[in-house]
Amino acid sequence: MAADRSDARVVIVGLGNPLLTDDAVGVRAAEQLAERLAGTSVDVVQSAWGGMRFVDLLAGYDRAVIVDAIEWRKGPPGTIYRLTPDEAIPTLRAVSYHDVSLGTAMALGRTLDIPLPAEIVFFAVEAQETRAFGEQLTPAVEAALPELVRRVEAQLMQWKVLGVPTCTKPALPST
Amino acid sequence: MTQATTTAGAPAAPGGGRKIGIDPITRLEGHGKIEIFLDGKGDVSRAFMQVPELRGFERFAQGRLAEDMPQITSRICGVCPTAHHMAATKALDDLYQVEPPPAGKAIRELVYNAFMAEDHALHFYFLGGPDFVVGPQAPAAERNILGVIAKVGTETGKTVIAMRRRLRELIAIAGGKVIHPVLGLPGGVAKPIKPEEQKQFQVLAADAVKFAQFTLQVFEDVVLKNPEYVKLITSDTFTHRTHYMGMVDDQDRPNFYDGKLKVVTPEGKEIARFAARQYLDFVAEHVEPWSYMKFCYLKPVGWKGFTEGAESGIYAVAPLARLNVASGMATPLAQQAYEKMYQVLGGKPVHHTLGNHWARVIELLYATERLQEIAADPVLVDKNVRTLPTVKPSEGIGVVEAPRGTLIHHYKTDERGVITMANLIVATQGNAARMAMGVEKAAKGLISGKQVSDGLLNMVEMAFRAYDPCLGCATHSLLGEMPLEVTIRGPEGEVVRVVRRD
Repeated sequence: MAADRSDARVVIVGLGNPLLTDDAVGVRAAEQLAERLAGTSVDVVQSAWGGMRFVDLLAGYDRAVIVDAIEWRKGPPGTIYRLTPDEAIPTLRAVSYHDVSLGTAMALGRTLDIPLPAEIVFFAVEAQETRAFGEQLTPAVEAALPELVRRVEAQLMQWKVLGVPTCTKPALPST
Repeated sequence: MTQATTTAGAPAAPGGGRKIGIDPITRLEGHGKIEIFLDGKGDVSRAFMQVPELRGFERFAQGRLAEDMPQITSRICGVCPTAHHMAATKALDDLYQVEPPPAGKAIRELVYNAFMAEDHALHFYFLGGPDFVVGPQAPAAERNILGVIAKVGTETGKTVIAMRRRLRELIAIAGGKVIHPVLGLPGGVAKPIKPEEQKQFQVLAADAVKFAQFTLQVFEDVVLKNPEYVKLITSDTFTHRTHYMGMVDDQDRPNFYDGKLKVVTPEGKEIARFAARQYLDFVAEHVEPWSYMKFCYLKPVGWKGFTEGAESGIYAVAPLARLNVASGMATPLAQQAYEKMYQVLGGKPVHHTLGNHWARVIELLYATERLQEIAADPVLVDKNVRTLPTVKPSEGIGVVEAPRGTLIHHYKTDERGVITMANLIVATQGNAARMAMGVEKAAKGLISGKQVSDGLLNMVEMAFRAYDPCLGCATHSLLGEMPLEVTIRGPEGEVVRVVRRD
C-alpha cells in the first residue's frame, strides 16, 4: 500500500462514452474534478476504455481513482458504489471484448516492470440509460454528480493528497 | 445487462427443447449473448448471437454541422475512433466535392496506417494470440496476454507495449488525441508535418516493420509449425464458403484508406467493383427478430437465409476478406507473406475463418511497410495540406477499411451543411451473417446427444473472435475476459448442468 504522503502521485481516470447518456458520468465527473483540482498535484484524465489502456493511464502513479458508470441494479439510478480491484469490476468501461481486464492489465504491468499504483479505488455510478445517444445525463444520475465529486475528493483527503477543509469558527461580532 | 436467461425477441426453443445460454457475466450491460437451443435428442437445433441495440444515432446526428461529424463519430466507439474519424472525413470530402492536396492525403494515410498497425498488433497479441500462442486447449486462466508473454518472453512483451505506445504517439503528433482525433477536415488535414517529425516517423516506421516481421515469425513458429493448430484453422467447424468484400487500389491490391470496393464469389470470381457512392446498389440490410444487429448482404445476389455458397448474398469483410479479393499486396514483404499463406492454405479464396489471424498479421506487415513508404515521401512535409471547399453541400459518402472491415459513412445535409440524414454501415454488420453461421456451426460441432464439450465456451468464442467483432460500434460489448456461463436446461426448464468460466 502506498504511504500516506503529500507527494504521492495520484491520478483520477474518468471512463465513459460522452455520447451515450449516463455512460458519460465518469467523463463528466472528470471534467468537474479537473477544474476543481487545478493547481494541485492530482492529474485528471479521461478515457473511452480501460482494459489495456489502464497500463498507459496508470503507469507511474502511486494511487488511482477510477470513475465509471455501472448497470448493476443493486440500487436505484444514481447510486454510488465504491469498489476495489479485489472485487470483480463490472463497470461499463473497465474492460471490453477487445481488451483485457484491469486484473490482467495490472499483472501485465508487474510482469513487464511497469510501475503501477499500489492502490486503486473505483467509484461506479448506477446508470439508468446507456444505450441511447444523448449528451445529457438522466436526472437521477445528474443529481448524483455533486456527491460523486465529493466522494472522490474525500478519498483524496483520506490519502492526504488533498487538504482536509478546516472547520473555522464564525467570527465573533466585534464589540 | 442481462436480467434473465431469455432475451426479448428471442425465439422459443423449437419443439419445447432445451436452451443453453452462453452468457458473459450476468451483471453487465450491453454484451453480445449466445443462445443455443437443443432439440429433443439433445443436439443443437439453432444457435443465435444476439446484440443489444444502441438507439437514436440518426436523430442525434440530425441538426448538427456535418463538419463536426469526424469528431462526433470518433466518439461512437472507443475501440476504433480513427476509423470513424477517417470515414467521416472522407464523407466530408465527398460532401464538399474537394480532394485533399498530396500532403493532406499523405498525412491522413500515415496516421491511418499507424492506427491499423497498432490495432492489429493489439488483436494478435492480446486477443487472438492467446488462442494460438498459448493454445486453444490451455486453461482459461493461462489463455491471455500473460500466457502469451510467458511463451514469447518478457522482452517481447516490452517490445509490444513500447511499439503500440510509439504508434499511438505518432497518431497524437499528427492528429491530436488518439481517442478523439482532430486531424481530418473536408479537403485535407488541420496541420502540416514538421521536418523533424518526419525524421522521427521514419525511425519509428523502420522499427515497426521489424516488429511486424518478428510478429509474423512468431505466428509461423508457434502456429504453422504446430500441425494441431493448422488442423484447427482448416477444420470444417471454422469454414464457410461465402462472398468477400474489400477495398483495392487501381492495381487490385488492398488499400485501407482509398480505392474501390471489390466483391468476389466463393469461387474467387469478381462480381462487383464500385465506388463508395454506389454502395446502396450493392449492399442491403436484413433484419431478424432475434437480434438488433442488421445483417448486411449483397443486394444483387439477394438474401437467401443463413446459407453459404454463390447463390447466397452473405459476404464477409475484415483481413481475410481483403486478402481474398485482392491480386496481391502493395508492399514486398507483405507480398511474400501473402503468397505463403495461400500456398499453405490451398489457394484463393481461403474460407477458413481462423485464417483471419494470419491475414491480420500480413496486414500488420503491410501497414508498417506502407507507413515506411509514406514517412520517406518528401511530400509529407509540404505545407499545403488542405483544399478549401467552395461548393454548397448536399450529400457525402466516405469509405475506409477499418481493422474489422469495410466502414461506410453516409450523410445528407441542407445547403448550410447541417445534417438531415446520417447512415453508417459498420464492419461488424458486414460479418454479422457469417458470424451467426459460425457460432451455430461451432455449437453443432461441439454439442451432440446431450454431451457438451468443456471446450465449448472457447471454441464458440473463437468462431467470432477471429473477426474481432466491433459490437462497440453498435453497442457496448463486454465479452473477452469476462466470465462465461453455459446453462443447460432440461425440457421443463430445470438446470441440468452449468459450465462456468470465471
